Amino acid sequence: MVRIRKFEELTEVFFSQGRFRGTVHPYIGQEAIGSTVISNLEEGDYVGSTHRGHGHTIAIGCETKKMLAEMLGKENGLCRGRGGSMHMQDFSRGYLGQNGIVGGGVAMTTGAALAAQIKGTKQVAVAFYGEGASNQGVVHETMNMASIWKLPMIFVCENNQFGVTTRVDKSTSVRDISVRAKAYEMAGTTVDGRSVIQVEEAIQEALRRARSGEGPTLIEAKCFRWLGHYFGDNEPTRTREEVEAEKKKDPIQMHKSVLLSEKFATEAQLTSIEGEVEEEIKQAIAFAEAGPAPDPRSVTDAVFCEPVSL
Amino acid sequence: MTEGTILKWFVAEGAQIREGEPFFEVETDKLTLVVDSHHTGTVLKLLAGVGDAVPVMNPIAIIGNAGEDISGLLPQSPILPEKITESVPVVESVTASSRETRFAGDSGERILNGKFVTPRARKIARETNISIADIAKSFTGSKISSRDVLAFAETEKNRVKASPVAQRMADEKGIDLASVKKDGGRIMKADVSAALLRGTSSGRGEKLVPFTGMRKVIASRMLESQSEMAQTHNRIRVDVSELVALREKLAEGGIKVSYNDILVRLVSRVLREFPYVNASWTVEGILLHEYVNMGIAVGLDEGLVVPVLRDADTLTLAEIALQGGALVQAAREGSLSPDDFSEGTFTLSNLGMFDTEEFVAIVNPPQAAILAVGSIIRQPVADDAGDVVVKPMMTLTLSYDHRIVDGAVAAKFLQRLKQLIRNPLLVY
Amino acid sequence: MTVKTYYNAIATVLAEEMRRDPAVFVMGEDIAEGGGTFSCTKGLLEEFGRNRVRNTPISECGFVGMSLGAAICGLRPVVELMFLDFACNAMDQIINQISKARYMSGGTVKVPLVLRGPQGGWRGKAAQHSQSLETLYMHVPGLKVVCPSSPYNVAGLLRASIRSDDPVIFCEHKNLIPVKGEVPDDPEFLIPLGKADVVRQGKDVTVIASLMCVHFALEVAEKMAKEGISVEVIDVRTLVPLDKATVLESVRKTGRAVVAHEAVKFCGWGSEISSIIMEEAFEYLDAPVARVGAKYCPIPYAKELEDEALPSVADIEQAIRRVLS
Repeated sequence: MVRIRKFEELTEVFFSQGRFRGTVHPYIGQEAIGSTVISNLEEGDYVGSTHRGHGHTIAIGCETKKMLAEMLGKENGLCRGRGGSMHMQDFSRGYLGQNGIVGGGVAMTTGAALAAQIKGTKQVAVAFYGEGASNQGVVHETMNMASIWKLPMIFVCENNQFGVTTRVDKSTSVRDISVRAKAYEMAGTTVDGRSVIQVEEAIQEALRRARSGEGPTLIEAKCFRWLGHYFGDNEPTRTREEVEAEKKKDPIQMHKSVLLSEKFATEAQLTSIEGEVEEEIKQAIAFAEAGPAPDPRSVTDAVFCEPVSL
Repeated sequence: MTEGTILKWFVAEGAQIREGEPFFEVETDKLTLVVDSHHTGTVLKLLAGVGDAVPVMNPIAIIGNAGEDISGLLPQSPILPEKITESVPVVESVTASSRETRFAGDSGERILNGKFVTPRARKIARETNISIADIAKSFTGSKISSRDVLAFAETEKNRVKASPVAQRMADEKGIDLASVKKDGGRIMKADVSAALLRGTSSGRGEKLVPFTGMRKVIASRMLESQSEMAQTHNRIRVDVSELVALREKLAEGGIKVSYNDILVRLVSRVLREFPYVNASWTVEGILLHEYVNMGIAVGLDEGLVVPVLRDADTLTLAEIALQGGALVQAAREGSLSPDDFSEGTFTLSNLGMFDTEEFVAIVNPPQAAILAVGSIIRQPVADDAGDVVVKPMMTLTLSYDHRIVDGAVAAKFLQRLKQLIRNPLLVY
Repeated sequence: MTVKTYYNAIATVLAEEMRRDPAVFVMGEDIAEGGGTFSCTKGLLEEFGRNRVRNTPISECGFVGMSLGAAICGLRPVVELMFLDFACNAMDQIINQISKARYMSGGTVKVPLVLRGPQGGWRGKAAQHSQSLETLYMHVPGLKVVCPSSPYNVAGLLRASIRSDDPVIFCEHKNLIPVKGEVPDDPEFLIPLGKADVVRQGKDVTVIASLMCVHFALEVAEKMAKEGISVEVIDVRTLVPLDKATVLESVRKTGRAVVAHEAVKFCGWGSEISSIIMEEAFEYLDAPVARVGAKYCPIPYAKELEDEALPSVADIEQAIRRVLS
């Protein structure tokens, strides 16, 4: 979580310096969901993410240095500079990747669950998406199919209350998105996305269900994104007070106090984790900045497996 | 005469031409002749090419002022009578046609005589060294494609090329054109005639020499000169010791001049004193020239040419030797242009190098006179004291148009010339 | 060699490939018990069971997207779209996801999937079920596009498409479905993608065609041969990657070209071929390239209208005569 937070804070700085092309969508405030869900997965499980997916990318183990290099458009980036901030991907870790289309990765991830079922493995696929994406047709289609085929699938809806500027109560016909699971005869539950504990309970149950062949689950994790939809969003539909109030419920601070009070970790350990992360970020910067720019002549490479000249 | 075949253009598009200058040579069923221009101006467009057979009354060239718009004068299809039925882009103006067909990497015409030429046709024409223009001449369609180029190449290979006149003659006389010998170029009427003769002769008899352009010109001009003027001549014999001495002295100093060069110098001077001998006959009157353009007769194997040394009266002896020499050299090489033959005001003809002692030259119209120079002979003459001495003597004969130059004037001219010859320094 | 129908050739290849490689599975509507609306998946359920014969709900976007995920994860889905027009429901998945997944990953993932289905007209299926949209897929980098014109071609090309590691839009034709033809029995018989076929040699004009227009062109060629006109007919077979070399070689030989396809003429792929010929063989042309395609209108229902809207034998003949004139 700390890594995610610090990485996103760094990207905010870099962005304000104009070092990134396009748009960046920070995950700050939602760290608990991504890190908890993914850390409960096993090797071989699949994850599909969203445009706001740096958190998932980091959680599944992709190196921050490669992510930063990718965002700087360098050849040593995670995707050799081809994808950028919205399209981080690393299939070697089972990470189907982020997606620039809202809801665009859900079907793909469900396909991974289908593959697992066809192959007869115990792999599970987890698709992250937001409450805005939950209104996309394809998400309903895939929930329906996941349900009829009882795919080993977990739909994790990160309900951060806002689809760009549109509040969820203005866009979504239900208050709790998890209700829609019922429409597809799926298990569904709503948790507080700021609470590591709650999220963990939910994901562990969903994993059990998936691996045992009981079918898909929809986990709605209610949360709040601290920053705008993207860096530079002037957030016309949120008030400063609202945001400040939410920031007081920092999932990282909340978890820190839980760890300390339950004596799972000491202050020193937590501080050293933060120190390690800061060091890692520094190295990431060096790595990314030193990276070479991609050779323009390679622009048409890797369109197909068998190269063609058109 | 119903049509003529253009054999040669003497003046190119864009060049100047003067009235009376040779413009083109044309072959008809009766003869081959050089046609002089009836106008002075710039040749804006030649509408027929060499080898084209043009029906009479068809325009073949446009003369005007440089830069004039002649688009209205350009016929749609100047040679061929067919109409273009499809709407294909047609050449609209002279400047457009000469500009638009050149394209980087493309050596062929794109639109020619209103016929569109396909890229493939141009490519094949280029590769097989065929001129699209040749195809366009006899092509009846509106688009020349590669097929047409290939067909043309095929027929060209098999076809014996002959001028329409020659073709007709051969047909009439029953001669197979394939048997007519010709090294390159088209079979002309002359070749057919020669073949005819070869066929009938027993080996020793006559040889027919066909008329060349030059011979024809000479023939017609000589005849014209004798028939149109009141031509006569005066003769004078001169002691040229001083010319001999002068020449030797100059040679010692490394300056090579010929007797002709010296004569050009002296005659030019005298002509300025006798303007009527340096005049030209025109319909409006006698044109007195205030300059001397000295024609120097040069005998070539093919015939006589008279290149003109302009403003000879302003040149020094050295300049005369140099420029005159160059002119003669060029005449021998055949590298003179029509300009070099034009605007002569007087002609000098020297047959001395062939031992001719004296001769009567024919005046070169429209000039007034011509001076014939004989060889230098060492002869015994009586000097002023009455003694017989041997002197180098030269006979000069002035032929002149008595309509312009009277006998006495001619006599005085020669007398003055003799004076200068005997004392060349008097020329200064 | 066996004489088979086009649809039977498809079903045979699917079965052979599914036998050969357990990663191959099929997905689509009514493909299980139904054997596919055009009988292209007949017999597969019985042999391979429901695990690998996935009968889907009517959710093109969903299941096409899922095929992408499955393909990335190592399977080789062959997705049937009942009518290829229905791919439009899945446009985001095809254009934004499938075509770009490999590229955006920097070349680390591969997407070995096939989206197949019948397109085209002459069956009175009207506007939404009769389109020829292959040009759209050609235009998005990252999709291979195949158009088999006969049972022989569909067998060889389907096998090559399934075995290809790249996403293939496999454009069958509903009018060719019942057509019979000889198909090699060899379960390895494969026609490589990107190779056009000179189905008829000629020297006066080249016709480049696909699907139904190949057959029309051959009919015209046969007729014109009696007039002494020699027409060369090329079946493109694959549109992406395009066999440019074969097309150009032919045009350099004949000097005249006609492109005939069922896609709408305006902005149809004939324009691309025409441009390629113009750019790379201009000097060899005796005439501009002519294109034959459907008229600019949705495909109508009434027979007279449908026939008028779609390219015909007469259209191709007219185009050939035009370039020869």
